[in-house]
Amino acid sequence: MKKFAHLNARTLEEAVSFLGSYGGKAEIIAGGTDLLGKMKDEILPNYPEALINIKTITDLDYIEETGQGLRIGALTRLNDIAEHSGIREKYTALAQAAERTASPHIREMGTLSGNICQDIRCWYYRNPNNRFPCLRKGGGRCYAIEGDNRYHSIFGGTVEKGCYAVHPSDMAPALIALNASVKTSKRTIKSDEFFKTAVRKTTVLDRDEIVTEFEFPAPAKGSKSHFIKFAIRKSIDFPIVNCATSIINEAGKVKEARICLNGVYIKPYRAAKAEEDICGKTIDEETADAAAQTIVSEARPMKDNAYMVQIARTLVKRTILACKE
Amino acid sequence: MEKHAYTCPYCSETFDALENLKSHMLQAHKTDPIPRPEGVIRLTVNGEEHSIRVEPEWTLYYVVHDILGLTGVKLFCDRGACGACTVILNGRSVLSCMTLAIECDGMTVETAEGIANKNHPLVENYVKHHCMQCGYCTPGFVVTSKALLDKNPNPSAEEVQQALAGNLCRCGTYPQHTKAVLETAQQLAEQGKEAKK
Ligand SMILES: Cc1cc2nc3c(=O)[nH]c(=O)nc-3n(C[C@H](O)[C@H](O)[C@H](O)COP(=O)(O)OP(=O)(O)OC[C@H]3O[C@@H](n4cnc5c(N)ncnc54)[C@H](O)[C@@H]3O)c2cc1C
Ligand code: SF4
Ligand code: FES
Ligand code: FES
Repeated sequence: MKKFAHLNARTLEEAVSFLGSYGGKAEIIAGGTDLLGKMKDEILPNYPEALINIKTITDLDYIEETGQGLRIGALTRLNDIAEHSGIREKYTALAQAAERTASPHIREMGTLSGNICQDIRCWYYRNPNNRFPCLRKGGGRCYAIEGDNRYHSIFGGTVEKGCYAVHPSDMAPALIALNASVKTSKRTIKSDEFFKTAVRKTTVLDRDEIVTEFEFPAPAKGSKSHFIKFAIRKSIDFPIVNCATSIINEAGKVKEARICLNGVYIKPYRAAKAEEDICGKTIDEETADAAAQTIVSEARPMKDNAYMVQIARTLVKRTILACKE
Repeated sequence: MEKHAYTCPYCSETFDALENLKSHMLQAHKTDPIPRPEGVIRLTVNGEEHSIRVEPEWTLYYVVHDILGLTGVKLFCDRGACGACTVILNGRSVLSCMTLAIECDGMTVETAEGIANKNHPLVENYVKHHCMQCGYCTPGFVVTSKALLDKNPNPSAEEVQQALAGNLCRCGTYPQHTKAVLETAQQLAEQGKEAKK
């Protein structure tokens, strides 16, 4: 790796002030599993001048169940989330997503905040030495449109820029299905509104803003959640498609549903039509299949990725079935 | 002979030993009179303490392999995708190629060398079950297996496979590892029973 300065932040305030004093030229490092890969390959035109280590801030690694719900510190390792008995029982989709993220080693290193702030994996974007200076890096064109786009968006790109890179996180859809909020050094953001696509950006965070905590409301009576991931190899690989669904059942019928796919669009994709469709119905093969069918009507696949539509549809159906009372 | 006095530059209190002055200054004035030079980390590797000056961009792999000469830790991908560089860091099996050494100050590292020096039965069982072909990935597997057994002394075959899911082997030795780890778990359990008798 090329040289950079390294600063251990002792407090959140200190980390924020470091970020401010570097004026956008410093990066936060949590587990480092995403960031260091980017730096080793020098994929970006701007190499960070400094890394701000937030692991030296002592109180950001915890899992707390309260009467109101669940609170998870930003630096909690994915493995600790996957193994937590309370989460497995009551926030099932979250534990399942953590258990299926990356490899055992990366789950021991990778944090929840790092996972939802991770960068895109488009293979043009990630090609070493900034080989493809594409739109997402502030360049002039998207290479995926004419190139090999088998792992790109099936729901279109951004309107103004045209980037088709999918959001790769396994944790993000679980957060959204479980209606979590993201607390930062400045504000509280609904997980639904946390992701944003722009040049060098995957989230709405300001350059000097740090994620501190995740808050999940306690699951309502009769609710169930489920996460399924489809990947080429079961271990390590990023999702081709994943899906988290959370459903509140009442008197044998669906009262409320939150269904979120990822790996299919430039940010996590709420399957709003499928949610609407399943509401008020009793979950069975037929109703789940009908709800999942809405995915097909919404999809606009590119030349190499139509296969993903069927996978998305199947995962929506299976997660709904798994949430049957 | 007069005792050599150490005087606090802030409040002029005197102490007969440097250590006492240091702890006084840390406590009363929140400052360290002789701070460690920047970039020096203390690392306990296989039970041995080291003090090493590191650059921010040095990985833990580089320090353990190139500086300390423990060549059991291997580099395949250098991108976090293969497990060859696994070490046990404060009880967690982590990838040393994706860990900055400068962030490991005060931590404990265990490598395949440390596991072998302790005569851990994993090593013998790895030989017995022919878990290696070229052998390049083997230390990573051994270290990951050791971390698993530390946490879960009685794993099922599936749990072993799960724990080793992030270790890649180009030679395809996968089925053998489960056998070696399960036999080791059994032996350790028997040793434990013997010891209790
Ligand atoms: C081989 C490999 C396979 C992988 N497979 C998967 C997979 O299957 N599914 C998946 O979801 N991910 C996968 N990943 C990515 C990995 O899960 C994430 O990289 C990990 O969770 C990131 O956490 P981290 O703490 O290491 O992040 P870091 O690398 O430390 O940080 C990632 C980004 O988030 C920012 N950041 C971190 N914490 C904060 C914070 N508190 N506030 C603001 N910004 C912050 C950093 O500045 C950085 O830009 C894989 C990675 C590798 C190398
Ligand atoms: S899909 Fe996005 S990241 Fe990939 S080449 Fe196109 S603009 Fe760049
Ligand atoms: S060399 Fe570190 S994971 Fe491959
Ligand atoms: S024995 Fe050759 S890579 Fe595993």
